[in-house]
Amino acid sequence: MMTSFFDQFMSPSLLGIPLMALAFVLPWLLFPSPAPRWLTNRLLTLQGWFINRFTSQLLLPVNVGGHKWALILASLMLFLISLNMLGLLPYTFTPTTQLSLNMGLAVPLWLGTVLIGLRNQPTAALGHLLPEGTPVPLIPVLIIIETISLFIRPLALGVRLTANLTAGHLLMQLIATAAFVLLPLMPAVAITTSVILLLLTILEVAVAMIQAYVFVLLLSLYLQENV
Amino acid sequence: MPTSPVKTRIPLTSFGHLVTEVKRQLFGIEPPVSVEYTGWRKYFNSYTPQGRRNYVLATYGILVATAAVFMIHRRNRQEKVTSSSTI
Repeated sequence: MMTSFFDQFMSPSLLGIPLMALAFVLPWLLFPSPAPRWLTNRLLTLQGWFINRFTSQLLLPVNVGGHKWALILASLMLFLISLNMLGLLPYTFTPTTQLSLNMGLAVPLWLGTVLIGLRNQPTAALGHLLPEGTPVPLIPVLIIIETISLFIRPLALGVRLTANLTAGHLLMQLIATAAFVLLPLMPAVAITTSVILLLLTILEVAVAMIQAYVFVLLLSLYLQENV
Repeated sequence: MPTSPVKTRIPLTSFGHLVTEVKRQLFGIEPPVSVEYTGWRKYFNSYTPQGRRNYVLATYGILVATAAVFMIHRRNRQEKVTSSSTI
């Protein structure tokens, strides 16, 4: 069977049984569960420090009513960052390269923020669709433009994560293949390509963390203007 | 750890604050307080939340009404075409 560069993005299955659930659960197994001790070990302390620090920074500009979202946003951040980082290991499957997963996360959460805004403060939520100080002739056009930008938000959230990770993985595989093929032919060029691959891998590590953070940050911004 | 009560993040999802600041600093245009509004301006303006809400609702209402008129007109025209072809 001929393998292609896109096989890494196929949903994993074994004898017809989909393994997607296993791909989701695996990151959870890697996080230590809180111990019933006052002073915990280093790993647990580090995890607790990271979660507390991240959540407090994320919810700093959000009103008190939006603090109910602390758990879901922190969980989402850990989920995405672990999936992205684990996907950088060779021969692993990255669930966040699937648009279906990312849209499944983006659309309900974005819709939740919009419905909360319309339910609790409809005037402010509708007022966001018209920027303050708009000249009268531009008002209808700007309302339509703001409505379109509102509905494009979940699409952008999902596609941003998918495209960044897919492009990064594809690029790494292409450059790795090039380095491997060039090694017996032009060793010097192969070494240069390997150096580029190393730099790209470092970049992809950063992209994996940043994209997870951007996803959650944008959701917190959407929540901020509806709470 | 004490946290600052000042919100330092600029909301990236709305440029209304930037528009208001630019108008104030470059052209000296100040947003009028709601007390100065009279007549229909009291309900439809781009400064107060209620005014902006009413503009948004009016725009949506006009769009929905236009779409409804267009669909009814198209249905009537199709009925006329089918009734004239059967005669």
